[in-house]
Amino acid sequence: MKPSHDDEPRIDLTACDREPIHIVGSVQPHGFLLVLEPPSLTVVQASANAPAEAAVGTSLDAVFPHLAAIVRRHLDEPGAQTGASYLRTVTLTSDAARLTYEVAAHRVDGLVVLELEEVDAAAADLGLDVLTPRLRSFVERLHAAHDIAELCHLVAQDIRAVTGLDRALVYRFDRDWHGTVLAEDGNGALPSYLDLRFPASDIPAQARELYRRNRMRIIPDAGYAPVPILPAATPSGKPLDLSQSVLRSVSPVHVEYMRNMGTMASMSVSILIDGALWGLISCHNAAPKRVPLHARNACDVLAQIFALQLSARERGAQAEQRLALGQVQARLLGFMAEEDSFVDGLLKHPDDVLALVNASGAAVVTADRCRLMGATPEERDVRAMYDWLSGRGDTDDVFVSEALSETIPGAAGYADHASGLLAISVSKKYASYILWFRPEVVRTVKWGGNPVKPAVPDPAGGPDRLHPRKSFEIWKETVQGRSLPWSIPEVEAAKDLRASVLGIVLRRAEELAAMSEELQRSNKELEAFSYSVSHDLRAPFRHIVGYSNLLKTREGANLSEKGRHYVDTIIEAAFSAGTLVDNLLSFSQMGRNALKKVTGDMNALVEEVRRKVLRDVPADRAVRWEIEPLGRAYADPVMLRLVIENLLSNAVKYTRGKPEAVIAVGRLPPKDGEAVFFVRDNGAGFDMAYVDKLFGVFQRLHRVEDFEGTGIGLANVRRIVERHGGRTWAEGHLGRGATFYFTLPLREEAH
Amino acid sequence: MAGLKPFLLVEDNPNDIELTLAALESSNLANEIIICRDGAEALDFIYRRGTHEGRQAQDPAVVLLDLKLPKVDGLEVLAKIKGDPATRGIPVVMLTSSREETDVVRSYDLGVNAFVVKPVGFDEFFAAIKDIGVFWALLNEPPPHRGGWPSNA
Repeated sequence: MKPSHDDEPRIDLTACDREPIHIVGSVQPHGFLLVLEPPSLTVVQASANAPAEAAVGTSLDAVFPHLAAIVRRHLDEPGAQTGASYLRTVTLTSDAARLTYEVAAHRVDGLVVLELEEVDAAAADLGLDVLTPRLRSFVERLHAAHDIAELCHLVAQDIRAVTGLDRALVYRFDRDWHGTVLAEDGNGALPSYLDLRFPASDIPAQARELYRRNRMRIIPDAGYAPVPILPAATPSGKPLDLSQSVLRSVSPVHVEYMRNMGTMASMSVSILIDGALWGLISCHNAAPKRVPLHARNACDVLAQIFALQLSARERGAQAEQRLALGQVQARLLGFMAEEDSFVDGLLKHPDDVLALVNASGAAVVTADRCRLMGATPEERDVRAMYDWLSGRGDTDDVFVSEALSETIPGAAGYADHASGLLAISVSKKYASYILWFRPEVVRTVKWGGNPVKPAVPDPAGGPDRLHPRKSFEIWKETVQGRSLPWSIPEVEAAKDLRASVLGIVLRRAEELAAMSEELQRSNKELEAFSYSVSHDLRAPFRHIVGYSNLLKTREGANLSEKGRHYVDTIIEAAFSAGTLVDNLLSFSQMGRNALKKVTGDMNALVEEVRRKVLRDVPADRAVRWEIEPLGRAYADPVMLRLVIENLLSNAVKYTRGKPEAVIAVGRLPPKDGEAVFFVRDNGAGFDMAYVDKLFGVFQRLHRVEDFEGTGIGLANVRRIVERHGGRTWAEGHLGRGATFYFTLPLREEAH
Repeated sequence: MAGLKPFLLVEDNPNDIELTLAALESSNLANEIIICRDGAEALDFIYRRGTHEGRQAQDPAVVLLDLKLPKVDGLEVLAKIKGDPATRGIPVVMLTSSREETDVVRSYDLGVNAFVVKPVGFDEFFAAIKDIGVFWALLNEPPPHRGGWPSNA
């Protein structure tokens, strides 16, 4: 049964990743390989093209004593380096011919791998003496180079000049291991690949790992026939690891890829920065061509100098950026420290917030607030982003994306403002984030061939057998929904800001905790104090009043007129002291009792209080009430009743001397989200010079003989109103009345 | 007069005792007034133990109870009286200087019958005591005595 199209196994490009290219079991034919077992240097494996004398089982000493001596000298050298070492050039006379070889050796699994590469007599003219001036001038020019592009161009030129190959490319890997050709030097024999991108699958993971471990690879003739190594296994029964081999046969897929590219010879040198593969200098030749050893060595040196220079430049650029961002960060830190809330420190300096990571927009988002700076998506989009971020669960503290629409649903809708997102979580508990945005940058990427189809399955149907693409036609792709990438220093700056914010928040929390501890302690003290005042201080006053009264009523007859006056004074004084204590207690209770706010009718409340106040007004007094419609208010009715009661009884009290008291209660138009109420009278008034003392505890502006009182009433009014979040103030003129104002915050639903 | 139930005044301050007695005196009530100086003594009286062991088995008409008392404080005495089915029916009036809301709330939670803050003013204080006396001695109808047959002891 023929499988239907759907059943066809998907072409898995990672098949390349699985190809075991380091144990390929064969070498290229431009040299031969011997595997020797130390210390006897017995040949245990040999490539099929090795001289017949060096058969498996023979001793190298017996066959090529000269060579054996070289190998022994190499083995005696301390600190054997990793990778193949070129020992020297030897000439071997075998049965077949007399040939010159360059000898390389390396050790693997306790064995010595000896590789003898044939020397092409024609290429031997490029000696070290020729190369030295070139290297020197290269180093000088590298120093003079302005930027990385120029560095890359220089190295491409020099490598091509040294190798004499048709084309040299500087190929850089990006984060996704796609490669881009940054610089190129060529003689026109091969097409230009400058600026082209190549998909990651062109150089699969294990090939990249070999590039990292073995900096140089050479294929003099892609049309070669691989030479097997016999026997296939080492004495310990394993296939021979050829990672460090210079003659290692390459993957058939790679050879096919080269042929498809129209190149028959290639050489590549790896560029490593801090041990990681940065890129390759990749050289190609249309026709088969061998690059002699000293030229390759020169290339290796060139590439290493280049890598050092590159790394210095990149570090320099990063350090420069870190320094610049560090200054911004220091400023922000100062701003945040100045404010009560770090958020204000950020909001007041949006330019620095954006400059910190070179963003075009930013947002500070908490569960209840979303504050935007610069060019940002709509608030609801930012909020959706926030929901997505906080819904990720316990993940990293920093989120970085250069292609937000690939991650967050709906992000394509605001790609013009936020294709790039850098987000830090500043509070897990309260899910607070700082977000930075970067706009979309539409780019055209030129791929060296369609990256979507880098390989085709083997038409012969071999399992896992892939053929690389045949076409390297430029394939243009417009990349949308992507921002410029966030650099390492930028991401670090965001992380540092996060640490600073956490530090500030933590310090604030500690300060608050200390403050609230202190407050709780003093509150407790106050409670204890007022309790004892309530019980212990009131009692003596009551007793004085009580006994004085008993004295007056029961023994009054025995007292003189003066004596009775004294008793009256004692009663009055003790009574007012007792009242003072009562008022003080109610004042302290007012600050401690919880507010129970509800919406209610102000006119009803005022009317109720007015009736109560009227009960204490002597019948002979004329009081005209002018009460406007007052609407509704949102407050604790018990507390608010005390406010009204204080204000109305004051108004009644201080109009005592007037033939007709006029007391007005009204409401002004709302202002700044507050309802404004007032109580106005035409009474004694006050001097505006003392207006500040009016609302103080035990502050009185009148003599007790004129107007009785303890000076607590208005202090209570202010305290209650302030606990509601409102304000109090007064206006007055001596002898011409006073107006007392108080405000209550409007409740959204209440008006 | 055996029928008249006594008033129990629980008060540690001699001044308050004297003033309260003066006020009660002026209300012309004939009820006997028992004075206990601390909470423990008050409970001894209620439960007829200690110095009050031999007293007549009759609940007081009302207990006038101060809050702050030596040994066992007013709230504890209240809790004990109101927590015991045998004594729950005895009316208890807190008569105190304290205006603390927590004291008021706590007293009502425990089942107090009234909470009176002693006024500073003399006339008010006399009026309050008089009202309390008249109400609990004359107007209030206490729950019927739920005792069984008179004891032989």
